[in-house]
Amino acid sequence: MGNFLEILIFLSLLALGYFAGRYFERKHYKSIRLRESQMLYIPLVTFGAKPPWPNAKEAKLFVGCVVISTDYFKTISAGLRNLVGGRVMAYETLLDRGRREALLRLKEQAIEWGASQILNVRLETSSIWGAEGKQSVGNVEVIAYGTGIKE
Amino acid sequence: MKYTPKPIPEGINVTPQHPLLDFGYLIATIVLISALIFFSLGWLAEWLAIKISPTTETQIGQMLLSTTMPALSSNVLQTDPRLDYLQNNLLPALAGKTQPPLTVHLFDDDIINAAILPGGHILVWTGLLKAVQSENELAFVLAHEVAHFKHRDPLRMLGRSLVMLSLLTVLGIGNNQSLAGLPSLVSQTGELIGLQYSRQQEQAADEEALSNVIQHYGHGGQALDFFKRLAEKEPQRGGELNISRYFSTHPPTLERLAQLAQLAKVRGWTMTGAITPLPRW
Amino acid sequence: MILTNIEGVPGKTIVEHFGIVQGSTVRAKHVGKDIMAGFKNIIGGEIKSYTELLNESRQEAIERMVKQADTLGANAIINVRFATSSITQGAAELFAYGTAVRVE
Repeated sequence: MGNFLEILIFLSLLALGYFAGRYFERKHYKSIRLRESQMLYIPLVTFGAKPPWPNAKEAKLFVGCVVISTDYFKTISAGLRNLVGGRVMAYETLLDRGRREALLRLKEQAIEWGASQILNVRLETSSIWGAEGKQSVGNVEVIAYGTGIKE
Repeated sequence: MKYTPKPIPEGINVTPQHPLLDFGYLIATIVLISALIFFSLGWLAEWLAIKISPTTETQIGQMLLSTTMPALSSNVLQTDPRLDYLQNNLLPALAGKTQPPLTVHLFDDDIINAAILPGGHILVWTGLLKAVQSENELAFVLAHEVAHFKHRDPLRMLGRSLVMLSLLTVLGIGNNQSLAGLPSLVSQTGELIGLQYSRQQEQAADEEALSNVIQHYGHGGQALDFFKRLAEKEPQRGGELNISRYFSTHPPTLERLAQLAQLAKVRGWTMTGAITPLPRW
Repeated sequence: MILTNIEGVPGKTIVEHFGIVQGSTVRAKHVGKDIMAGFKNIIGGEIKSYTELLNESRQEAIERMVKQADTLGANAIINVRFATSSITQGAAELFAYGTAVRVE
């Protein structure tokens, strides 16, 4: 009976993780694509660390940050993948979403300030604080930062 | 430098494969590989286990007994006419001399069950003695356990569960944080596998038990009546009789009964005869 | 104070530099946020409370770095870099560093 209950809880968490995770992921991607196309006119570049710079009068540092979490389905899927080895597909979308979201937040702030270009963009990913004292699986922080310039 | 805004193409950093397909593939691979490892190593363990000498078996039996007895939390009867009867009358008649010798341990509890540990330790619960209606019935149950012992089934099972346990430890499934929900499932599956002898082992034990009972009484009458009653009661599990306990260690009865009837027919065994009552105690 | 992560400030020239300045802060999450995050670990998605917490903490690290530069007499910090690291269970360090300079 105890076994059965445990299996039931496990399976329902798995199903919840799968369906809810998929739903939120689709929604997120939709919003990412929309905002990306809206803000496409501002170039983000990874060069520009050294002069000469484009003609600019003002410069300011911007940081975009997001903490994104896996769902239960992804966690289990990645855990199983750990035994087999190979490409962890479950986490690919997670990191992809995180990076794009962080870049979008960087752009949003720069646009608000009136930037014409963002130079020397850097991205950093780190895994932080897992919940309930477990190993920090599942929570990924992505930050994107760069220098916005104004003519 | 000219900037041409173009959207980033999708599906390059993300593998375009359905997550469920990926999951299914993972599960299938893991199940397949662990089944392969389990069966090959289990086979190896059995092969090694049956090579153990009687002296070593006695030692293993002692060790197991000292850990099992407290865990059972039933009263052990040290001196009892029933114990004396089982140890000195019924068992020698059924099993003859064995190496290592058979020892009966009688537990005062309503559980209807009997079990065998390596080293020839037969565990009998008084519930069983109350549930059987003739000596023939009891003889068959005991002969069944003795047959397991003679086939060294408890040793094989021990070998298999040790392999399973070490396998799980090596894989680190129990400690894998990212699989927090999974490990108890896996280990419980392991326990379930460990609990039962295989169907072939049960069948072989049944056959030998019946032939021993027939040798002793000259017929197989009443021997299977206990099983018939269990089979009838099976649908109402967990009733007052604690029958489900017997089922947890012994697989479905109807099938076994049919197989035994078939066997008796082939060998031409007499399946009816005078009842031997249990002694009064 | 002008902050950039490039090697100078566009439209200005560096006249003096004061070496490296840094700001860091170690922050712990609290249990309430943890419960929410535990739930998020099942259904997935952004953990807004963590994002905010880290943002605030990073802002604090930046402020500390700026304070250092201020006392040195700088009016800009160039080539700023960030780093986040989990130090222990439940605590993260946010770190910012750069070169303090005076521009005209």
